[in-house]
Amino acid sequence: MGASLPPKEANLFKLIVKSYETKQYKKGLKAADAILKKFPDHGETLSMKGLTLNCMDRKTEAYELVRLGVKNDVKSHVCWHVFGLLHRSDRDYREAIKCYRIALKSDPDNIEILRDLSLLQAQMRDLTGFVETRQQLLTLKPNHRMNWIGFAVAHHLNSNAAKAVEILEAYEGTLEDDYPPDNERCEHGEMLLYKISLLEECGFLERALEELHKKEPKIVDKLTYKEQEVSLLVKLGRLEDGANIYKILLTMNPDNYRYYEGLQRCFGLHTENGKYSSDEIDRLDALYRSLAQQYTWSSAVKRIPLDFLQGDKFREAAFNYIKPLLTKGVPSLFSDLSPLYDHPGKADILEQLILELEHSIRTTGTYPDRTEKEPPSTLLWTFFFLAQHYDRRGQYDVALSKIDEAIQHTPTVIDLYSVKSRIMKHAGDLVAAASLADEARCMDLADRYINSESVKRMLQADQVALAEKTAVLFTKDGDQHNNLHDMQCMWYELASGESYFRQGDLGRALKKFLAVEKHYADITEDQFDFHSYCLRKMTLRAYVEMLKFQDRLHSHAYFHKAAAGAIRCYLKLYDSPLNSPAEEEDDASKTPSQKKKMKKQRKAERAKKEAEDKIEESSASGVSKSGKRHVKPVDPDPYGEKLLKTEDPLSEATKYLKLLQKNSPDSSETHLLSFEVNMRKQKILLAFQAVKQLLRLDAENPDSHGCLIKFFHKVGSMPDPVTDGETLVWSVLEAERPSISQLQEKTLGEANEIFLGRHEDSLMHRVAVAEMLYTLEPTKKLEAIKLIEDSTNKVVPTDGALGPVSEWKLKDCVAVHKLLEKVLIDHDAALRWKVRCAEYFPYSTYFEGRRSSAVYNVLNNQVSKTPVSGGTSHPEISQGANSIISNGKLEAFKNLTI
Amino acid sequence: MGAGREVAISLDGVRDKNVMQLKKLNTALFPVRYNDKYYADALASGEFTKLAYYSDICVGSIACRLEKKEGGAIRVYIMTLGVLAPYRGLGIGTKLLNHVLDLCSKQNIPEIYLHVQTNNEDAINFYKKFGFEITETIKNYYTNIEPPDCFVVTKFITPSQVKK
Repeated sequence: MGASLPPKEANLFKLIVKSYETKQYKKGLKAADAILKKFPDHGETLSMKGLTLNCMDRKTEAYELVRLGVKNDVKSHVCWHVFGLLHRSDRDYREAIKCYRIALKSDPDNIEILRDLSLLQAQMRDLTGFVETRQQLLTLKPNHRMNWIGFAVAHHLNSNAAKAVEILEAYEGTLEDDYPPDNERCEHGEMLLYKISLLEECGFLERALEELHKKEPKIVDKLTYKEQEVSLLVKLGRLEDGANIYKILLTMNPDNYRYYEGLQRCFGLHTENGKYSSDEIDRLDALYRSLAQQYTWSSAVKRIPLDFLQGDKFREAAFNYIKPLLTKGVPSLFSDLSPLYDHPGKADILEQLILELEHSIRTTGTYPDRTEKEPPSTLLWTFFFLAQHYDRRGQYDVALSKIDEAIQHTPTVIDLYSVKSRIMKHAGDLVAAASLADEARCMDLADRYINSESVKRMLQADQVALAEKTAVLFTKDGDQHNNLHDMQCMWYELASGESYFRQGDLGRALKKFLAVEKHYADITEDQFDFHSYCLRKMTLRAYVEMLKFQDRLHSHAYFHKAAAGAIRCYLKLYDSPLNSPAEEEDDASKTPSQKKKMKKQRKAERAKKEAEDKIEESSASGVSKSGKRHVKPVDPDPYGEKLLKTEDPLSEATKYLKLLQKNSPDSSETHLLSFEVNMRKQKILLAFQAVKQLLRLDAENPDSHGCLIKFFHKVGSMPDPVTDGETLVWSVLEAERPSISQLQEKTLGEANEIFLGRHEDSLMHRVAVAEMLYTLEPTKKLEAIKLIEDSTNKVVPTDGALGPVSEWKLKDCVAVHKLLEKVLIDHDAALRWKVRCAEYFPYSTYFEGRRSSAVYNVLNNQVSKTPVSGGTSHPEISQGANSIISNGKLEAFKNLTI
Repeated sequence: MGAGREVAISLDGVRDKNVMQLKKLNTALFPVRYNDKYYADALASGEFTKLAYYSDICVGSIACRLEKKEGGAIRVYIMTLGVLAPYRGLGIGTKLLNHVLDLCSKQNIPEIYLHVQTNNEDAINFYKKFGFEITETIKNYYTNIEPPDCFVVTKFITPSQVKK
């Protein structure tokens, strides 16, 4: 490096490099300028100066200088290496790889460049390249452990586990017999376990087991040893040995469900769907009875039988399971049992059973089969369970009366208010739900969970400002809202994005959704450091697993929600382009005072933000080793106004759509969005693909049907093809149409009617058919509306003891109302629908049901007057008749403050 | 208390983070709404204000105010003492009151008193068990409840007397 310079300058050049490595950028800059004074065109110095400036946050200059450096000394590997580092620091890994490759042409054995290149290749999953680079590194430096391991891992990732085993064994061959020394036992043990897992992956089961046994003394992680052993034994069909190991594992941890599952497999008593013959159930029952005697402390061993037992046996087991937990007071009991509600018949049994317990405790204070008095709290927890039970069954009235009984019994239990809040949410009163969650929050201001829960409810009720204020109570700096972003608090960003979307503030909604997308990009980015760290620390199994996790990272539900949210924003933006985010579609519904308030709030926030930025600037920090920046860039667009100014919202949407299609291909939402985007983009074949995907996933789904009809209706109304491209599209569609069974030799109208015939009893299917009827023939609007209005809300038959449950879902009915209002544009029909639904959903604020807070608050505005006293004393026994119990009642909300 | 079922009863202090628990109890227990001064006094009294927990459930409380008499001596005024109805008869009130009496004797506080509505015989008997006696009757003490009169119930503590 710096070879072409005279000795004095060559030394200065070395100083630049050293200063860069030790982060003494100013010193480096000085040295660089000293050289450039004499040799202004010296390429490598220009490059290094650029690299230094890059770390000092002078990016544009950095790129200029580095480019100039490369130009002046195009053969220098230093210049190209620096160029690569610059790209890497900007996360442009593809460009960085290119630069490294060019650098290697002039200096093929440069270890540093090779190592940097290998990291990038692992990051980018350029696996063949990764193998090559790793091979080169090993050839150059075979005495480094890391190079052996790296080469093996590279082959493994490149789907050649057998080769990886060979390499690891060759590496072992280089070790002394007494290896490892004491301080490397963990690392060596990990390597061995990794190798054995590779053997298992290759199907060399015997060899893996033999190796495992042989190396037992050298394996430090005894638990994994056992788990690996049992996995191999089961795969080898040595089930009896397997069962024994599982029993040993269970003594180590009797609550690990996977061990029980494994044990069942060993006894041939395991099915994926959880369905068993009656003979199998008897054998399982016997198995778990004997296990229960062995592992008396295990709760899993008591809980699992509830999954497979049926009828009376289930009843008896559930009875025995539930009783001690109600006595003890386990708030999570219902969540523990809630999966059973998906098993036919079990919910009814549970209902009868708990009602029986409730009756017995209420009247005698004991359980039915006991004489021993229950503690007073048992009744409370029984009410609590019943409330959640009826909530789950959709009987909100009963659920509320049960939870109110519980609150009256013991008004100090926080969970009661949380559950009441949840019931209110399900019943459709989001405002009341938020208030109740806030009441719960106030009861323990040190509990982050209930704080978060109340924030979530506030966002669901579109109280964004209040939610922010509440959320900030638990962020580190107390007042920095931004902190939630730094903590990657995604549920918050999603809920707040959805709230902004509902309120028509597309700019801020997009901000929030894209923030979540950014977190996922960051998580992908975060793996970078591990490519070198894990090889050094030998945590190879965890490393490979982490890479696999990263490969399917974007299929995670939060990402899906964020991407779908962003796409919806862009669709709305395309449909109704706007001037500024404040003037929105829903703006008409906002009063001038609300608008004013919004403006004012923004102004205040802006001022605060600016003040914060100033502080940040003054404390700008340096750069980490990997070249990543830790200085927080100022957000130039806090309200997403710039995002809204995008020229082409649909191509923005397409970016996220592609990620969804790649990572969530089995979600119908993905294809619905694809349909909407591509229809607007006039990409006929892509839209058609979306339709086909929807039919594949669920042809009977109302949305699938709607897209199918809409698609062919649109295609049918398009002008005849003119260009070659259009003709091609047409011929594809012509060839494909007969393959769609719904449309074979039928008109769209006929297909629509046939669909109705198949699903006459379902509200949402009727609604889809009605919408399509109107789409196909706008003159049939009244017929379409009649089709919707003639739907009947049937009562779902339940064996439940209390109250009927209707079939229609609140969410669907709201959607129907919006359709009547905005698509069919019939305000009278919409009003009729609203009145009708207010009957079905008395708690719904949307439909202004008579028991919702939208109505209720007006009626109960007068807070009951109670005497205020700071001095009166009251004895232990109070006059119950006099007391005013307002805990958990809506009137109490006004007294709560943050 | 059922045979053999021992449920732990523990006391915990009142802080600004959990003062809502005390408010919830008072709302359920007493026919009056307490003002901010009540809660400020309760928080200021430190160890003299306690919540009682039945296993993990907050079911009762004692709230006191420390008063300075002319000579500089301190006396304790019990503002409220109460246990939720389902949890009465389990010794929780006794435990709360004993806690405060013990503190008084440890800190050499000679006097502890409270007000009781004149018709509340259960309460009067409860306090008498602990050595309280009626020292005064105040007419028309309460404004919104019947009867409006109250007794002042006081216990004088000599350090040696309470040490059990």
